[in-house]
Amino acid sequence: MIFRFIALSAVGSLCLGGVALASAQEAEEATPRAPEQVYAETCGYCHGVNVGPIIRGRNLPPVITKSFVRMGPNSMPAFRQTEITDEELDALATWLEQSEADPEERGQ
Amino acid sequence: MSGLDRRTLLGAAGAIGAAAGFARTVNAQMADGQTAADVDAFMREMQSIVGEDWAFWNAEALRPYDKAYIPEPSDQLHPVGAVAPRTVEEVQAIVAAANRHRQPIWPISTGKNMGYGTAVPATPGQVVLDLKRMNRILEVDPDLGTALVEPGVTYQQLKDYLEENNIPLWIDVPTVGPLASPVGNTLDRGVGYTPYGEHFFFQCGMEVVLPDGQVMRTGMGSIKGSTAWQSFKWGYGPSVDGLFTQSNYGIVTKMGMWLMPEPPAYKPFMIRHPNMEDVPAIIEAMRPLRVSNLIANCNLMMSASYQLSMFQRRDSVVPNGAPLDDASVKRAAQANGLGMWNTYFALYGTDETVAAIEPIVRQVLTASGGEVLTEHEMGDNPWFHHHATLMKGGLNLDEIGMARWRGNGGGLAWFAPVAAAKGAEAERQTVLAREILDKHGFDYTAAYAIGWRDLHHIIALLFDRSDAEEERRADTCYREMVTRFGKQGWASYRTGVNTMDLVAQQYGAVNREFNAKIKQALDPNHIIAPGKSGIA
Repeated sequence: MIFRFIALSAVGSLCLGGVALASAQEAEEATPRAPEQVYAETCGYCHGVNVGPIIRGRNLPPVITKSFVRMGPNSMPAFRQTEITDEELDALATWLEQSEADPEERGQ
Repeated sequence: MSGLDRRTLLGAAGAIGAAAGFARTVNAQMADGQTAADVDAFMREMQSIVGEDWAFWNAEALRPYDKAYIPEPSDQLHPVGAVAPRTVEEVQAIVAAANRHRQPIWPISTGKNMGYGTAVPATPGQVVLDLKRMNRILEVDPDLGTALVEPGVTYQQLKDYLEENNIPLWIDVPTVGPLASPVGNTLDRGVGYTPYGEHFFFQCGMEVVLPDGQVMRTGMGSIKGSTAWQSFKWGYGPSVDGLFTQSNYGIVTKMGMWLMPEPPAYKPFMIRHPNMEDVPAIIEAMRPLRVSNLIANCNLMMSASYQLSMFQRRDSVVPNGAPLDDASVKRAAQANGLGMWNTYFALYGTDETVAAIEPIVRQVLTASGGEVLTEHEMGDNPWFHHHATLMKGGLNLDEIGMARWRGNGGGLAWFAPVAAAKGAEAERQTVLAREILDKHGFDYTAAYAIGWRDLHHIIALLFDRSDAEEERRADTCYREMVTRFGKQGWASYRTGVNTMDLVAQQYGAVNREFNAKIKQALDPNHIIAPGKSGIA
């Protein structure tokens, strides 16, 4: 077995002449993320995996979701406008209210 | 389905209505010599630099900046504003304005330093400099295994980038990896769980906006045309990168780091020991394996109570108000496949190197009285899964569950004294910690992180922050731990914003004076993060 890293480096120096495969990534706020993505990247690490309560499929009022995200009640972290924009949060809160329960999620 | 009941929702509605009260709180506490009008004038200038959408000083917008888990019964540590630049030039303009207005600013990267202060400044009246919008991954070199990132990049973002581009490099995460930033965690000298776990060891090159507004690059970064900024740490002359960690001497706007090549073979292990008294035997067994690098990653030696607190509530182990006795903990641990101490490490390499090392570590650790367990025995045990994920740079937030161990109030403060990796010292530390925690009515929810030659005793002080009396008790308890451990020669490697001065005192007057002289020379107006690490 060979390190994938070693294999890639060898190929890289052939194809790219040793030039690093570098990128200048654009800052990420230009396009608002879809609610599903925000949920997966943030909420879903706690909610539905035995850490926080299940929040999908419970018709949560959007005003409550938006308040919770910004204030971080109890043990929940708070999320700033620089992490989840107001526009993303509006969409997330609406999506969450209308979401179906996910049978794969685990509550506690 | 507890945790989101009618009472919680009503509480939230009450909190929404209480925003006006919050405004009075934050506006009441300005920095020395500043008035509300001064802050207002400064924030209007911030708007002109970053745009109206990214300068905040009304109560509602500041709420997420004020979230804390640490005990702070004096209730003085609140930001008075926040400003979120997008570019280095904007950071320079903000620093220039802060000097003119004498307005202190508190830089954060992603502000998720949970249990150490999150985004909250160490003194009243500061404006948070929120660098989250500076979130570009500037370069990843798959040949060298290096990256250059901005402060707002999260571990999640970096991992996604590597996977999307099929680059076979790992990241190394702290326990709040998805939300936290490599820059922020490294600058606070945080640790993770792969062989690249001591994050500052694997940092290489910084760009720093100095308090006078100049931009400095460390190491090889100031050499025009150099390709070695992320490869060679030292440059020439004094090595200064460490001056910008746990300090307030500049604002780091770019940071280089080394990334570990993904190994062909990865095998996680758990060693289960049955008794609280097994502490010295485990450490004595582990030390030679760590010092020789046969085991190359930072081991976590987790007490049963720490492990239980992640996924369970205290009242499922003992009745409310009862002490957390060892017999009850042991029963709950056994029911969940855990011992009183659970030590996690992994082997990394090829199938051949893992097969060669495994018998050696098995022999040593079995002789220490532990059961050597792998995925074969542990299956989908959630605790094993948690650590197996972390030790390969995987992301989860399981440990946030700890803040729910005791009531709903979300109180957490990490106390992390350091010692050499010697079993006898750890045994004495455990006795002292339990004595102080028992005295104040708190639980010993602790772990030892066994480094290359050191031992971090990671004690999670868990309390109900919604109970004012309990918060006061937690504060007293924490301070007693700092001072009594300090007298034994065990000082913290890191602490929360509420106790930075207290921990700095442990390190002595000469060190403090040295830090103060550097501060005075670089930042004579003391506008960058006064109070950080006890440096005014």
